[in-house]
Amino acid sequence: MDAPARPGFCSPAGAPAALDRLRRELRAAEAATGLTPEGGAALALGIPAIDGVLGGGLSCGALHEIASAHETETAAGTGFALALAARQVFPSWRGASRTDESVVSARIVGRNVLWIAEEFSLAENGAPYGPGLDGAGIAPERLITVTAARGRDVLWAMEEALRCRAVGVVIGEMRSRGIDQVMTRRLALAAAAGDSLGLLLRTTPRDEPSAAATRWIIGAAPSFLRSGGDDESCHGLGPPRLTARLVRNRRGHLGAWIVEWNSVEQRFELATHYEPVAGAAFDRPHRAAVA
Amino acid sequence: MSLWLERLSTDRIARQWREAPSPLAVFGKRGNRDLLVAVDAVAERVGLTTGLALAQARAMHPTLTAMPEDQAADARLLDAMADWCQRYTPLLATNPPDGILLDIGGCAHLFGGEEKLRDDLLTRVTCFGFSARAAIAASIGAASAAARFGGAAITPTDHEHDLLAPLPLAALRLSSDMVAALARVGLKRIGDILDLPRAPLAARFGAELLRMLDRALAREYEPLTPRLPVAPYIAEKNFHEPIAREEDVLATVERLAARLKAALAARGDGARRLELALFRTDGAVKRIAAGTSRPVRDPQAIRALFVERLAALGDEIDPGFGFDLARLSVLTAEPCPDEQIGLGGHEDRAELDRLVDRLSARLGRRRVSRLVAHDSHIPEFAAAALPAQATARAELGWEAFRRFRVQADLSPRPLRFLAKPEPIEDVFALVPDGPPVRFRWRRALHEVIAVEGPERIEGAWWSEEGGLARDYFRVEDKAGLRFWLFRAGLYRDMARGLPRPHWFLHGMYA
Repeated sequence: MDAPARPGFCSPAGAPAALDRLRRELRAAEAATGLTPEGGAALALGIPAIDGVLGGGLSCGALHEIASAHETETAAGTGFALALAARQVFPSWRGASRTDESVVSARIVGRNVLWIAEEFSLAENGAPYGPGLDGAGIAPERLITVTAARGRDVLWAMEEALRCRAVGVVIGEMRSRGIDQVMTRRLALAAAAGDSLGLLLRTTPRDEPSAAATRWIIGAAPSFLRSGGDDESCHGLGPPRLTARLVRNRRGHLGAWIVEWNSVEQRFELATHYEPVAGAAFDRPHRAAVA
Repeated sequence: MSLWLERLSTDRIARQWREAPSPLAVFGKRGNRDLLVAVDAVAERVGLTTGLALAQARAMHPTLTAMPEDQAADARLLDAMADWCQRYTPLLATNPPDGILLDIGGCAHLFGGEEKLRDDLLTRVTCFGFSARAAIAASIGAASAAARFGGAAITPTDHEHDLLAPLPLAALRLSSDMVAALARVGLKRIGDILDLPRAPLAARFGAELLRMLDRALAREYEPLTPRLPVAPYIAEKNFHEPIAREEDVLATVERLAARLKAALAARGDGARRLELALFRTDGAVKRIAAGTSRPVRDPQAIRALFVERLAALGDEIDPGFGFDLARLSVLTAEPCPDEQIGLGGHEDRAELDRLVDRLSARLGRRRVSRLVAHDSHIPEFAAAALPAQATARAELGWEAFRRFRVQADLSPRPLRFLAKPEPIEDVFALVPDGPPVRFRWRRALHEVIAVEGPERIEGAWWSEEGGLARDYFRVEDKAGLRFWLFRAGLYRDMARGLPRPHWFLHGMYA
C-alpha cells in the first residue's frame, strides 16, 4: 500500500523498466478498486518541485489527509486546505489581480466548497471567518459550513457531500479519535464517484492506516520579515509561510517543503531561500574551442 | 364541538396507577387553606365536593386518597389531548383548564356525520381512561354550555334558544361575581334574561353579559383561535391495522406526498416546510418537521427528507403499539415555477439544494449555514452564519464587502475566528499603547517577532452597550504562528475612570 521503493537508486540496468511495469500494474489494480481513477484529473499546485513528486498534482476525485503539525497550528492546515480548495473550484481566479471586477464575478461561478467540522473543533480552534476567506482565495459565497455534534456525523456528511455533483471540494475537520480505514475507504470511493476533492483536516498528526491518496503535515513557518522602517527592532509580517511535509503518497516520493502564499496571484510558491541562491550556470563553451 | 374532560386531574392521577385508589381527590392551596380542587366519581358519590377543606374531607372519609395538585401536568395533558384531537380537525383550541374546542365544520362527513364523530371521540377518550362529555352546537358558547351543564348532545342551528333557556347563567362563561350579582336579583337561568329588555341589562351588568349571551346564541360570531396554525395543504391516511415499521411510515409519506403533489401543482405551489404527524394508538402524537431550500413537490424528494429526519431522530420515534393515523401537512408553501430541465447551472443548483436539505434534515437546520456579510465594522458582527436553507437565493453581501475592503485598504482578516475573544495574560509591551512583545495564551508563552498595527476599531459609541475601542494587532511569534490580538480600551481613558485595558486574542491566520 505504501509508496513504491525509489527507482533508479543502486538498481542494475533494466530495473527501471521493470519498476515502471510494476507501477503500471499497481495502478491498474488500484483503479479496479476505484480508489485512484486512472487518468483522473490532477490538481497542480503550481510548484514544479511538488507537482513532480505528486505525478502532476493532487489527484482530484480522491481523499487527501491534511494534518496540522500541532493543535495550535490548525490555522496553517486550514489555510493549506482552503488554498487547495480554491485551486480546485476557482481555476479562472489563478494569476489574476484580485481587484479586477471581471475576475471577482468569474469566481462566483465555480462549484461549491463544503466545510464540515465538529462543533467542538470550531469552538476550540475558531470558526471560518468570512472576511478572511477571500485572502485564502475562497469566495465566501461558495462556502457552506456544516457543524456536527459528533465525529461520525462529520464523516456521514462528508460522504453525502462528496457524492454530490455540485460540490467541488469537501473539507472535513476532525479533531478527535481515529477514523477507521473502512470509513476513509468509503470517503475515497465517494470522492471518486462524485469527482470531488475530499480533504480530511486533522488537528494533530495521526499515524493510522487510511485510504487517502496523500497525507500532509502542515505547520506554521516564520515568514520572511519586512523591515519596519526606521526602527530596526520592529518588523512587519511577510507573506505567510507554511511547512508542508508529504508523509504519504500513493503515487511516488515523499518530501518536505516550505511554501509561501502569494496573496496577489492566489497561489503557493516555494519559499525563496529554498531556491538556489545563484542562478543556474549558462552553457559557455571555452572561447579557444570556438576559435 | 366542545369536549369537556370532567375530571382531568383525578383521571390523570388514576391513569398512573394500575388499580386506582378511590375515593381520590386532588387538593391545592387556596388562600391559606388546603381545599379539594378535584374529586373523582366515587368521592363525589360519597358526598365530597370541590371547595371542601382537606382536613374536613379526611375526617368524613378516612380512606380518601388526596394528592397535591399539579397544574403544569394538567396543562401538559390537556395539550397532549388537543394534539390527539387533531385527528378530527386541524382547527381546534384548548379551553383551559379542562376543555377542548373543535371546529368540525366540513369534517363531520368524513366520520359519518356529527353524531358518529362525537361517539367515536367519546369512545376513544373514555378508553384512555377519562370521563368526558361532548356537545355539538353552532356556537362555542352553546356547545360548551351544553357539554358542561347538560343539554342536548347535538343542537341544530337556530335551536340555541331552546338549549340555553333551562341552563344556569354560569353556563354563559360569566365571572362568578356576575353570576352572584344576577342571582341577587333573582335571575338564575339563562331563560330569565333571554326576554328581558337589553338596555337596562347592559346598563346594570355591563356589556359583557349581553356579549356572552349573543355569542352563545350565535347572534355574534366568536372566532376560534387555533392552537396551531392551520396548514394550507394536508393529506392524511388512516390505518385499520397500526403501522410501526420505518419502511411503512416512509411509504406512507411518499403516498401522502403524491396526493399533496396534485393539490400543490393545481395552485402552482411547492412546499418549503413540511410536518409529518404520527398518531400513536395510545394517544401520543409525534410531530416531525422538515424544511427545504426551494419549493418542492416531488414525492421522492419529500420522502428523502423524512428518511434523514427519521434517521436523525432514531429511537426518539417510539412507535409503541403502532401508529393508526399519519398526516402530512405543508406548513409553508411558496410559488414553485415549473423549471426547465437541462439548462446548465440549474441542475447544479438543484443538486446542491437537495444536499443542503438532506444535511439540514439530519443534522438540524441551524447547523448547515452560509456566511452572510453584515455592514458592520465590528469584527464579530461583520459576518454571520445563517441557515443555508434560508439563504439559497439570498444576496450574501460579499461583493460589497470586497469593494469596501479594496477602498478602505483593510488589513488582512484572520482565517479562523474565535466567537468569543480569549483573554491573553502576561502581556508585556514596551510602551503602554504599543504592541505586545510577549504574551501567554492557553498556558503557552508566545514571543512576538513581527507586528502590524494598530488598527483601531471603535466600539459602537452610539449605544450604551457599545463596548470599548479596540486596537487590533497582527502579530507573528517565533514559531511562525500568526494571531490577531486586540487591546480593549485605551490607556489614556484610564484618566476618565475607565477600567484598565485588557488584551484578547480574536483570530488566527494561516
